[in-house]
Amino acid sequence: MSQEVASPDVVGDELTIDSDVHLQIRHEDLVPYLDEPWRSRMKDSHTGQQPNDGWDRTVNGKFLMDFDSVQTAEDLKHSLCNDLGVDYPIINTLGLMSRNPENDWSVALMKAHNDFLIDNFLDVYDNFLGLATITTQQPDKAAEEIDRMASEEDIVGIYIHNTGPNPPLGDSFYDSMWEAAEDNDLNVAFHGSADGFMFEFPRQNQSLNQFIEVHTLAHPWSQMLTMISLIVEGTVEKFPDLRWAFLEAGLSWVPYMLFRLNKEYSMRRSEAPLLEKMPEEYFREKMYVASQPLEEPMAQTDLAKLIDVVGTDNILFATDYPHWDFDNPETLNQHLQRMFDPEDLTKVMTQNAIEMFDLTI
Amino acid sequence: MKEYNIAKEDEIGVGERIVTEIEGREIAVFNVDGEYVAYLNWCFHQAGPCCEGKVTGTTEATWDSENLTQTLTYTREDEILNCPWHGWEYDIQTGECISRSGVSLPSYPVRIEEGNIILSL
Repeated sequence: MSQEVASPDVVGDELTIDSDVHLQIRHEDLVPYLDEPWRSRMKDSHTGQQPNDGWDRTVNGKFLMDFDSVQTAEDLKHSLCNDLGVDYPIINTLGLMSRNPENDWSVALMKAHNDFLIDNFLDVYDNFLGLATITTQQPDKAAEEIDRMASEEDIVGIYIHNTGPNPPLGDSFYDSMWEAAEDNDLNVAFHGSADGFMFEFPRQNQSLNQFIEVHTLAHPWSQMLTMISLIVEGTVEKFPDLRWAFLEAGLSWVPYMLFRLNKEYSMRRSEAPLLEKMPEEYFREKMYVASQPLEEPMAQTDLAKLIDVVGTDNILFATDYPHWDFDNPETLNQHLQRMFDPEDLTKVMTQNAIEMFDLTI
Repeated sequence: MKEYNIAKEDEIGVGERIVTEIEGREIAVFNVDGEYVAYLNWCFHQAGPCCEGKVTGTTEATWDSENLTQTLTYTREDEILNCPWHGWEYDIQTGECISRSGVSLPSYPVRIEEGNIILSL
């Protein structure tokens, strides 16, 4: 996306907070942020941060996978803020290390990602905000990193790559991690990936023939797994002050998951004994879902119905810039302007992110 | 309708394009096998700069229902324009979207006059 392009009409007067902006950190740029022996590993080995999953994102080279636009704070400001009209990007490093098999390497990468983010992006512009990447293999180490990140004023939440963590994230194994997040007032954003699919859903990864199948399933499956685990295992009751956001799986999976879970809950309540409310209520009160990648029903009116059901109180605007399935801010903005009230537009583009990430802007 | 002199004929070789701005619109002129076509540089999907994407072929399949076999072919080399934002495929000769019927890139008449490429808007 780094090529010079015609600027679309930037989002009008609405203060636009983008809840899912990615970096694409070059391996060599991470080297100074790693201690030995990890520094030498990153510098001298050929494996990079994690094994490659082998799937082709480019559709045989049709896409231009060029991440120059996010290599520096200046580039990102130009491409996302100036050209696409985002006022406050909430930046994550796209840390995928939670699916790695090597625990200590993953922890080293986690810290390096966060230091890189702060030094090179969050400290550069006042309107740049960030999420601290947290890897999940060793919850005590995750808790330490959450404590460390909590003193950083531009870190407004934590980011967990949730395609690959084992066990699922509502398991009591992670309680010390959630406790640290709650104690430090850092809410939690989950982000799945096709990259972790080979770990989370290995049989499917082996047997599906095309990346379109993997990618379409990977994000919602990971979010469904995480949401059901957090609710049924009672994580939402054990850590009542935490808020949870689900990024990059669009909206449609949410009503299906909640309505099905509502039904199951009333039949099997004793298997979720910590819960005091219907599953859907936890979503309404504590959870947010990011708009991107906004689904494309044949009829625009169906999209309006979908937004209505998920609820404009619970949707965060997101672009996923600079990835190949990113959403142009104008797409959602124009739809909301045409089909919703002005206050709904403000909630989605601005207010919900302020609440989720406790922003003072 | 106004006419605009875009370039000299030899300035856009076969397979090449130029993107220019006319009356506030970004418009691309392609030389497709010696014929010139012009489209608005604006993807129907999310307003991406579709005319700046790669021109490639694409993969198609036929299904033989008697023998239960699928045959893949890479075809239409240099005929498919791919939006660089999200990969929407357009037929470069007609501007029609390959995946969605009824969707086309807005196009403009182009003719050659005394070696000049003239676009009507």
